[in-house]
Amino acid sequence: MIKFTLNGRTVETDAPATARLLDLLRDEFELIGTKEGCGEGECGACSVFVNNLLQNSCLIPIGSIVGADIQTIEGIIETEQFKILDESYSIAGGVQCGYCIPGMIMASAALLSENPHPSEAEIREGISGNLCRCTGYNMIVEAINLAAKKGDGL
Amino acid sequence: MNLKDISTSVPKKDHKGKVSGQLPYISDVKVENMVYGVLYRSPIAYGKIISIQLPNLPEGYEAVGAEHIPGPNYVKIIKEDQPIFANEWVNYIGEPILMLTGKDLDILYSLLNEVKVEFEEHQAIYTLDEAIKQKSVSLVLASYEFGESLENISAIEQGAHQIIEEEYDTGYQEHVYLEPQGMLAVYKDDEIVVQGSMQCLYYIKNALLSALACGDDEVRVVQSPTGGGFGGKEDYPSMMACHVAVAARAVKKSVMLVFDRSEDMLVTTKRHPAKLKYRTALDKEGNILSMCVDIFLDGGANVGLSSVVLQRALLNSAGVYKIPHFHAKGYVLKTNTVPNGAFRGFGAPQSFAGIESHIGHLSKLAKIDPLEYKRKYLVKQGDPTITKGKFRDPILVEDMIEDVLNVSEYKKKKEDFQRLNQQNQRYKKGIGTSLFLHGCGFTGSGERDHIKAKVKLVKSKDDQVSLKISNSDMGQGILTTLCKIVAKELNLPFEDILYPYPDTKEVPDSGPTVASRTTMIVGKLLERAAKKLKNQWQTGVEQEVVEHYVHREMIPWDEKTFTGDAYPAYSWGVNIVEVEVDTLTGNLKLEKVYGNYEVGKVIDERIMKGQIDGGLAQGLAYGYLEKMTSKQGRIQQKSISDYGPPTSLDIVSIESKVFDNPYADGPYGAKGAGELTLIGGAPAVQAAIEDALHTSFQQIPITPEVIIESLWMKEGEEG
Amino acid sequence: MIEKITAYRFERLDETLSQLNREDCAIIAGGTDVMVLHKSRRGVPPKIPKPIVFINHLSELKQVYQHHKDLHIGACCTYSELLENPLIPFALKNAIKTIAAPAIRNRGTLGGNICNASPAGDMLPLLYVYNAKLLLRSVNGDRMVAISDFIQGPRQVQRFHNEMVTEIILPFVLGDSHVVFDKVGNRNADAIAKVSFAGFVRISKDRIDDIRFAFGAVGPTMVRSIDIEKKLVGKTIPLADADIAEIVAAFDKIIRPIDDQRSTAAYRKTVALHLLRYFLSMKQYQPN
Repeated sequence: MIKFTLNGRTVETDAPATARLLDLLRDEFELIGTKEGCGEGECGACSVFVNNLLQNSCLIPIGSIVGADIQTIEGIIETEQFKILDESYSIAGGVQCGYCIPGMIMASAALLSENPHPSEAEIREGISGNLCRCTGYNMIVEAINLAAKKGDGL
Repeated sequence: MNLKDISTSVPKKDHKGKVSGQLPYISDVKVENMVYGVLYRSPIAYGKIISIQLPNLPEGYEAVGAEHIPGPNYVKIIKEDQPIFANEWVNYIGEPILMLTGKDLDILYSLLNEVKVEFEEHQAIYTLDEAIKQKSVSLVLASYEFGESLENISAIEQGAHQIIEEEYDTGYQEHVYLEPQGMLAVYKDDEIVVQGSMQCLYYIKNALLSALACGDDEVRVVQSPTGGGFGGKEDYPSMMACHVAVAARAVKKSVMLVFDRSEDMLVTTKRHPAKLKYRTALDKEGNILSMCVDIFLDGGANVGLSSVVLQRALLNSAGVYKIPHFHAKGYVLKTNTVPNGAFRGFGAPQSFAGIESHIGHLSKLAKIDPLEYKRKYLVKQGDPTITKGKFRDPILVEDMIEDVLNVSEYKKKKEDFQRLNQQNQRYKKGIGTSLFLHGCGFTGSGERDHIKAKVKLVKSKDDQVSLKISNSDMGQGILTTLCKIVAKELNLPFEDILYPYPDTKEVPDSGPTVASRTTMIVGKLLERAAKKLKNQWQTGVEQEVVEHYVHREMIPWDEKTFTGDAYPAYSWGVNIVEVEVDTLTGNLKLEKVYGNYEVGKVIDERIMKGQIDGGLAQGLAYGYLEKMTSKQGRIQQKSISDYGPPTSLDIVSIESKVFDNPYADGPYGAKGAGELTLIGGAPAVQAAIEDALHTSFQQIPITPEVIIESLWMKEGEEG
Repeated sequence: MIEKITAYRFERLDETLSQLNREDCAIIAGGTDVMVLHKSRRGVPPKIPKPIVFINHLSELKQVYQHHKDLHIGACCTYSELLENPLIPFALKNAIKTIAAPAIRNRGTLGGNICNASPAGDMLPLLYVYNAKLLLRSVNGDRMVAISDFIQGPRQVQRFHNEMVTEIILPFVLGDSHVVFDKVGNRNADAIAKVSFAGFVRISKDRIDDIRFAFGAVGPTMVRSIDIEKKLVGKTIPLADADIAEIVAAFDKIIRPIDDQRSTAAYRKTVALHLLRYFLSMKQYQPN
């Protein structure tokens, strides 16, 4: 049995050690916020936090996260940081089809947690692993910039 | 909120579900009694199926093929040449032959590996060049010809100072919508409900009615939240819908078919690669006397929507220019490769890349700045179109050009760059422009003869108004913009207007979500319906209002002669792009990007900006970054990184402005905008690269490989 | 039909080495290469043909320290951890920044990049010009091997199945050398190198003391030639045109890239030589 913390709860699974964390989250734990866009770590739609670090869950075999602290988008929805990002993405118009967005939010949160007042270049770097095909990124960059100002160090 | 000016932005209706990740796309859905489907696909490009050997299938696992299709074995789109399950001939690598269904994906993948199909392989045609060389009528999937007679042009060419011939190639473009394609058929005894990622609710319903040979009420289609489309989910989903529906009927379970990214990249429709040939007669000053354009589109293995793509490509073959004595003809040719289809622009991006390139090269011969040369030929209000239609409405392009020249400091930059480039060996800067338009709405007489859009507004007893239309929000924001139109008309809060995801049980056919028609055509119908409802409004009573498309006849479109008004209205754009080329690596850096657009009236400023930023990013990348190739009939790029769509580090801020020019037949004056913004990207980037390197290119994408080769050849000539 | 998967995760390195001694296992550190290499399709685990050993949690493999003038880097340090570590040289950090994107860098490891031995491995050219050595440990003891001996071909490394790379050692890395790394990809992030180049030069009194070059993504393994490098030892900076031409011509003979879905042989070779020439033509070299 593989045990770890998921969005604050201790959970365990008898799925094989090579099972992708992405599939576990979606199938066994029915958390649909983490999405599959490519299965190869190139699009960021499957982004989660592992011990507070942004990672692509499609590339994580669950055998390597024994005892780790995993957070999905569902785990951060109640936070103040999320609320500010939510509002900022709306004001800046950063959401079109929405498929990249949970991953983008995770990347935004990871960036702002580490660097509360990033420059435009640092923002672009922070989301460089998240592919968006609808927005051309600029309004997402604005959203994060806005969130940084509103959050002021959150 | 009540809207003062329609353009003022509002919070989008679907924002919450999307940021939280809880809005379910089709792959997030699970239903009872559901199995997965996986497709066995042809490994060869062209040949006959001799035999199919299935492995022993465990309990609960079944095979579904052509024999299970109640109706005819083709996907109903335009022509009858796309099998649902290939059962005689296969025409491209990746063509679906049969489906295996079962509960466990791992087992399904294993079983798929054990399917053995024997083929009699035949000589395939792999490339557009090969197809052109063959000159075989059997390979022509569609063709049109129009314009000045070739005798007249010949006479003009006799008296010309110079004839310039150019051949220009454009490549594939892959949509890379973030959400791979997916479709689910929910099985019930008396009804099959198909839901999934889609742009055209009724295309799918019609395909299913044909495939299932069933009654109208035995099949129902519902759109799921759709994670991007860009045209890639216009016709392709119809085949997937047939797959899952036929399978569901056969196995009496619900069947889910979702693609891997690599599967999606290898087998779904792409932008048609094209070859454009230009033959232009010039006088001594370099002025254009006549022009002939030949367009060849690589249709892939079946025609799909290619005839309409060719039409739009031809209709745009003269760009925004009034060319004296113009002739055009075009062909869609069949090759044994993945069938190509709709992609934002639908033939226009290829044509504009070509004509802007050609005109740019002609300007160099005339020794005039490209933009100055282009302005000489710019169409004016009242001018005829190349199909003897008319540009009826005001054209603001001159104003848009003046404005962007100012904002970008084009003239100064051009001079500065020339100087800088003399001094800097390694990095060369350049600035380029593009002028473009997009005909709004379905090409030709499609709205009048085929679509015949119908919309419905339904008011509940509690005075909540719902939009009953078949159009899909795939990110472009129509859930929001169309509700805004109705809200403003009814003078109701925007939040009180409902627009549930389209369901064929509930909504009439208001047409497909394509061709930049949704705001202009469907929005107008909704505006009218809302006006009607307002006049008839009875509080506390259930009411329903219906509006039908009314065609305003101008010069009627005749497809046979290819004459008349092909579109009721046009949207316009101007791009200026600054680049820096690293001559060491051939890599390109976008420095500044400007776009001025005119789309009648903007229904939501923020949403329009999103279309500008997103469309232009795709258009620019089409010009220099995204490259997809096919070798021996096999697509070579099956991962996103191999294909190369832009990341956040590849794009820069876009400075844009939208000009107002209300169009009488659009809601609040709005015209189409969704495709326009992509079209100007590639030609502007090419022009900028040519300015930086003082070289002419004859293809897009102008990748670093192409740049290095051209620099190397130039060195060879000079050295 | 579904194979049983065996996987191990020990708390200590010695226990891990014992397991490797018992069975030939697939070692997974971050997994960012392994999970792609053995990827099946959506919804199912990858198909790894051997028993698996997870190692990215082992603290013994995450140490970074200096010993005399050598820098020792634990094989399971993630790229992000290396970026935060003050002991890691500037040039190495710059190379790390060209890898993929933040989420990958939070998981990928230097040891993984080496053992994956991709012809386009992002860290490899620099490790080659640093003359990196690898410490391989097993139940039988330690073995040191030069990286150029360790990597034998694409995805082929000289590791006996009971051995594990535990440290990467960069000898005399702290000193005044000028190091460059260029990665040429098809876009500015998430890109696999089409061509890469690492250059290393140590000058004393305007003369070249030591000069090294390595090219990536232009052959089955990194292209390096000690013989060609020797030609420049003792020459004064800036180099004479004739000397530069000679070196470029020498590499022209031995760089033999291929066409593939990402780029062409012609491009790779031309750009590789451009990068070399650019490096050789510098008027001065500052230590970094």
